[in-house]
Amino acid sequence: MAQMDFSKKKALLIEDMAEARIMQRKMLTDFGFTSIDIAMKAEAAIELLQSKSFDVILSDYNLGNGKDGQQLLEEVRHSKLIPNTATYLMVTAETSIQMVMGAIEFQPDGYITKPFSQAILQRRLRKLLETKERLYNVNIALDANDYRRAITEAELVIKKYPTLIGKCERIIGESLLELQEYKDALSSFKNTLKDRKMPWALFGKAKSYFFLDNLEKSEQCFRQLMLDNRFFVSAYDWLAKIQLAQGDLTSAQETLSEAIARSPKNILRQMELGRVSLLLKDNITAEMAYRRAVFLAKHSCYNTVEPYICHLESLARISDEGPLIPRQKDNFDTTLKKFNELFFEDPINKAKAYSYEIDVYLADNDILTAKQIFDTWLNDTAITPTKEQSATYLKVFEG
Amino acid sequence: MKKLNISTILASAIHESKNQVGTLLYQLQGLKDSIDNKDSSRNKIVSIEESLKKLNDEWVEYLYLYRLASDGYELHVDTFLIDEFLDDQVFALQPSAQAKNLDLNYICDPSLTGVFDERLMTAVVGTAVYNAFRFAKSKILIQARKKDNFLIISIEDDGKGFKDSLSDDFSEDFIEANTGLGLYFAELSATAHTVNDIQGYIKKETSSSIGGASLAVYLPQSE
Repeated sequence: MAQMDFSKKKALLIEDMAEARIMQRKMLTDFGFTSIDIAMKAEAAIELLQSKSFDVILSDYNLGNGKDGQQLLEEVRHSKLIPNTATYLMVTAETSIQMVMGAIEFQPDGYITKPFSQAILQRRLRKLLETKERLYNVNIALDANDYRRAITEAELVIKKYPTLIGKCERIIGESLLELQEYKDALSSFKNTLKDRKMPWALFGKAKSYFFLDNLEKSEQCFRQLMLDNRFFVSAYDWLAKIQLAQGDLTSAQETLSEAIARSPKNILRQMELGRVSLLLKDNITAEMAYRRAVFLAKHSCYNTVEPYICHLESLARISDEGPLIPRQKDNFDTTLKKFNELFFEDPINKAKAYSYEIDVYLADNDILTAKQIFDTWLNDTAITPTKEQSATYLKVFEG
Repeated sequence: MKKLNISTILASAIHESKNQVGTLLYQLQGLKDSIDNKDSSRNKIVSIEESLKKLNDEWVEYLYLYRLASDGYELHVDTFLIDEFLDDQVFALQPSAQAKNLDLNYICDPSLTGVFDERLMTAVVGTAVYNAFRFAKSKILIQARKKDNFLIISIEDDGKGFKDSLSDDFSEDFIEANTGLGLYFAELSATAHTVNDIQGYIKKETSSSIGGASLAVYLPQSE
C-alpha cells in the first residue's frame, strides 16, 4: 500500500470531548501531520477557517451546545470558506450518521464511525486524499467557478477512474445547474436515476424542474425526497420556494415553520420565514424568526445586516398596532445596539433604523424621545432624512 | 404511567452501552501507547481490545437490526469498487483473525463494482466473519461476484458447515444456536436492498472452495 506524505498537509481537528481530542491529535501526529490546529466548538472553527487554509478537516458531528458538525459543514461549504480541494472527514456516532447521510445537499467527503483505531483512520484519510488528488483538476475548476471546465475535467476523470462515476456525474449535473443549462442538467440527473436511485440525483432533478418552471413536477420530486428521507430538511425550503412562486404565501409560511420545527438552527431558513411573514403582515411570526436569526448570526458565516435590520422592522410594524410590551422593547433595544456596533458604516440601513426607532417611540406616545432621535438623524452627516421623511415626522411631532 | 415501547428502550440502552465501550477502547489505546512493546501484559491488552471491538460491532449490529425490524432504517446506496470494499473489511477484521490464528482473505475480480448500502453491508460482513471465527479450522474466505443482476458476497469457512443446510427457517436456528440472530440480521439487510421490486436475499450453502459453511448475500443490481 502506497504511503502518503501527510507532513505538508495542514489539519484542523474539531472535537469537543477532551479524551477523543487528545487521542485524535496523537493519531494525526503519528501519521506525520506537523500542522494541526484545534477547535473545541464550531464557532471557534469558523474563526480559524476564516484566517487560515486547511487541507484536511476532521470534525466531530456532536460539538456540544453550539452548532453541530453538519451545520458547520453546510455553512463553510455554502459560504465557500473551505475550497473544494480540501477534505472534510466527519466523525459520527451510530445515531448521528442518519442525520449526516440525510443532508443530501452538503455532504462531507467521508465519514468515520466512533470508535475507530489509528490504522482505520489512517487508511480512511489516505483513501480520501487519494480521491481528492484524482479529482484535483475538477475541484480547482469548481473553486474558480469555471463550471464548463469542471464538466470537461469530470468527464476525463470518469474515463480514467470509472469508480468515481457517481461523484463526477453529480458534479456534472450540478455544474449544468450553475450554468443555467437546465434542460441538460435535467437529462443528466435523469440519466443517473436510470441506473441508481441516488438522492442527490432526485434532488437535482427536482431543482431542474423548478428552474424550468415546471413547478408541478418539481413539487412531486421534492415530496418524494421528503418521503424517502426524513432528515432532508432542505426539501421543505424548496417546497416553500415553489409555493412562493405559485403565490401561495400562507402555505409557504406553513412549510417553513414545519422545517424550522425539525431543524431550528439554520439561519437562512429563519430569515426566509421572517421575510415571508413580513410579506403576509404576520409581524409576530416575523419578529420571532428574525430574533432567532439575530441570535444565530453572531457565530455564523452569514453575519449580514439583514437579520438585524429586519428584526427592527418587524418590531416597528408590531408597534403600528399599539405600543410594544416591555419584553419587545428590550428586544428592540438589544438588536439596535448590536446593529449600531456592527453596521455603523451602512448609511442606507442606518436611515431605516432611525425611522423604525422613531416609529417605536411614537407608538408609545413618547414624542419627546422620538424628536430627539429625529434630531440625531438630522445631524448624522452620513445619511440625513429625505425631504419626504422630514415632512412626515415633523407633521407628527407637531401633532 | 404511560407504557413505553420496550424495544425502543432496549435500543437506546444498547446505544448507551456502545458509547461506553467506545470510551473504554480509547482508554485502552492510551494505556497501550504508554507501555513498553515488550511488556508481557501487552498481549493481554490486545486481547481485551479485540474483545471490546467485537462487542462494539455486535452492538452496532443490534442497533441496525432494531432499525431494520422497525422500518426506521433508511437505505443509502452508492457505487463501490468491490475490491476496495472487501479490502476494507479484511483490513478491519484482520487483527481479530490473527488473534485467533485464522487466515482471513478475499477474492474478487478487481474491476467488479456494485451498488449497496456500505454501512449495512459492513455490519453484515463483520457479523458473518465473527460468526465464522467460531467454526473455522484455519481459514475464512470472502468472495464476491456478479450473476444474473445480483451481486453475491459470500463469507466462507473451512469448518464443519451448516448442520442442516436444507433448513431455511432461521427462527429455528435462532433457538438452537446464537448464530440465528446474525443470520436474521443478514436476511433483513439483504431484503432491504431492492431494485425494481426485486429484493435481495441470503443463502446458506456449503463452500465449494474450502468445504465449510458459506453464507451468501444476494444484492439486486440494475440492468
